[in-house]
Amino acid sequence: MDIIVCIKRVPQTAEAEVSIDSTGKSIQKDRLTFDMNESDTYALEEAVLLKEKFEGNITVLSLGYPDTDDTLRIALAKGADNAIRIKAENFENPDAFQTAQILKSVIKTINFDIILTGCIATDDAYSQIGVTLAELLEIPHAALVIKVDANEQRTHVHRELEEGLIEHLDIKLPALLTILTGINEPRYASLIAIRRAAKKEIQQLGKENIELEDLVINSVIEELYVPPVTKQVEILTGSPSETATKLAGIVKEKGLI
Amino acid sequence: MKDKKNLTTEINPEIRDILVEMGAEDIYKCYQCGKCTSACPWFQVEIYDYPVYKFSLETALGAVASSEDKKELEKEIDLIYRCVGCEACLDQCPHGISTPNILRAARRLLVDFGSYPEILKSTVQKIHNVGNPFGEHRENRADWAKGLNVPDYQQGMEYLYFPCCLPAYETRNQKIAQATVGILQKCKVSFGILGVKETCCGEVIRRIGAENIFEEVTKSNIKEFENSGVKKVLVTSPHCFTTFKNEYPDFGADFEVQHTTQYFSHLIDTGKLKIDKSFYKKVVYHDPCTLGRKNKIYEEPRNILKNILGLEFLEVENFNRNLSVCCGAGSGGLWLEWEKEERIVNVRLKQLMDTGADIIAVTCPYCLQMFEETLKSMDADIKVMDISEIIFECL
Repeated sequence: MDIIVCIKRVPQTAEAEVSIDSTGKSIQKDRLTFDMNESDTYALEEAVLLKEKFEGNITVLSLGYPDTDDTLRIALAKGADNAIRIKAENFENPDAFQTAQILKSVIKTINFDIILTGCIATDDAYSQIGVTLAELLEIPHAALVIKVDANEQRTHVHRELEEGLIEHLDIKLPALLTILTGINEPRYASLIAIRRAAKKEIQQLGKENIELEDLVINSVIEELYVPPVTKQVEILTGSPSETATKLAGIVKEKGLI
Repeated sequence: MKDKKNLTTEINPEIRDILVEMGAEDIYKCYQCGKCTSACPWFQVEIYDYPVYKFSLETALGAVASSEDKKELEKEIDLIYRCVGCEACLDQCPHGISTPNILRAARRLLVDFGSYPEILKSTVQKIHNVGNPFGEHRENRADWAKGLNVPDYQQGMEYLYFPCCLPAYETRNQKIAQATVGILQKCKVSFGILGVKETCCGEVIRRIGAENIFEEVTKSNIKEFENSGVKKVLVTSPHCFTTFKNEYPDFGADFEVQHTTQYFSHLIDTGKLKIDKSFYKKVVYHDPCTLGRKNKIYEEPRNILKNILGLEFLEVENFNRNLSVCCGAGSGGLWLEWEKEERIVNVRLKQLMDTGADIIAVTCPYCLQMFEETLKSMDADIKVMDISEIIFECL
């Protein structure tokens, strides 16, 4: 089974202080740490589990700047066979649709049975690349996948919907799945695998190496801003009886009881 | 000879060579006597087997953290991150082998490939991002000093007082920083703090294996000290002490560092710090690994405690000074969770409580944090105090 995993190198912002840079269109990144997007790590692990079951080949693909090679190398150490970086420096701030178009141009030159992507990138939170890519490739897809049970022709998947509802789908391959976090336990890389990965070549594709259709830009970032504070948190201090009295006072004062 | 089929990993000289390059050169000195294993604090956790003696040989074979089996590899990496860097093994080793350094070489490779515990990734990220491991806001870093009239450091002041992260942010630990400045003010010492400009010393990042970020933090701290004209730094944490004293000079640092116990002991000996009040308590002193074994500061804390009227000074018999047992917080241990029965801190607390002391005196914020947190779940009639707090109470 040949699998393509699309990954993204993102700044780790979940627990970080984030501020907007001088352009007003991006964030300051000098004090942030970069890593593989969280749900992409689960997509990669799912690919490795499928490979362990069916054998085959895993290609990891990323549209990114040169430091993305570090992230692709991690993917190689964790079980991918080939890695391709599409040079982001050749494209000017592609939006989600354009990114999917660029990925499609490369993917159509590779044999695959399944494409896996993370379900959302933690930096822009668009959640669009996977499903748009499937539409462009004209293959079936399932988003928010929490279980994959594949054979060589079809895959049975579970999608996690609102309020704990699980949707079961039977999909014909080739197909694209966007993977939710928690579907598996991403693995560590062993030192042997790390050394092996360090020696592998990462294929670098520039604009000149890709047969691109007309790129369509549907959205442009005009401005980033911190939303104004509309609600406030007050932390009550003191002994349990003091805080309980204060809380009761606030509830009464606001007319909530 | 054992059946070769039992060897589950392949021998890989290339991995050995890389690990040696990253600081594991001690591996060649090991002759497998096993003293390290019996000196390791994990040895005293009865239900847990920690094979310290194997790390040198495994590294020499290039067979460390090398299993291709997912679950087996998790266990191997768990072993690498169990080391609390206390150097009890190094202290007892006939050949002076530093197993923590050997393991740190492996950690460095693992960190570069995102293959280390998530909680430690978060710790590294937070220090890199906001300068402390808790993700607390930078602008709150000097809140501990509010109302204490602590000046910002200015050129010409004698000391920069550097409390670092736990005493800056953690409520219980803040009392150490507050007591320290109280003593310094009482002795009319010329000092200031960096306040919101202070950033973590980075010691824990290096122990975790995130060498690149450690270098970035270190260089930025050195620049800040240079720009502020700092010549002498007074620290509360032995972890700041050891990295400032033994590691920062490799990055061009040129300042003197003193641990508060060294300075307070000196002030007592020279008559500048007069401890007026008595303290009628039985006090047992816990030697922190990083102050004691690593930096051989054993006498100054004892000198302080023995100069307090009424204080009955106790030692943990057989397990004091270089034989002190780690609290379990070093090298990232503060953030890692082990099963309750598998915690080193329980072993050390039992030794300390068995002395019949009223108070455990510590000189390290990590030790204070570990003991305080563990005692919360124990029915024990014993308190933990930093030596600075004891002095301050007696002024």
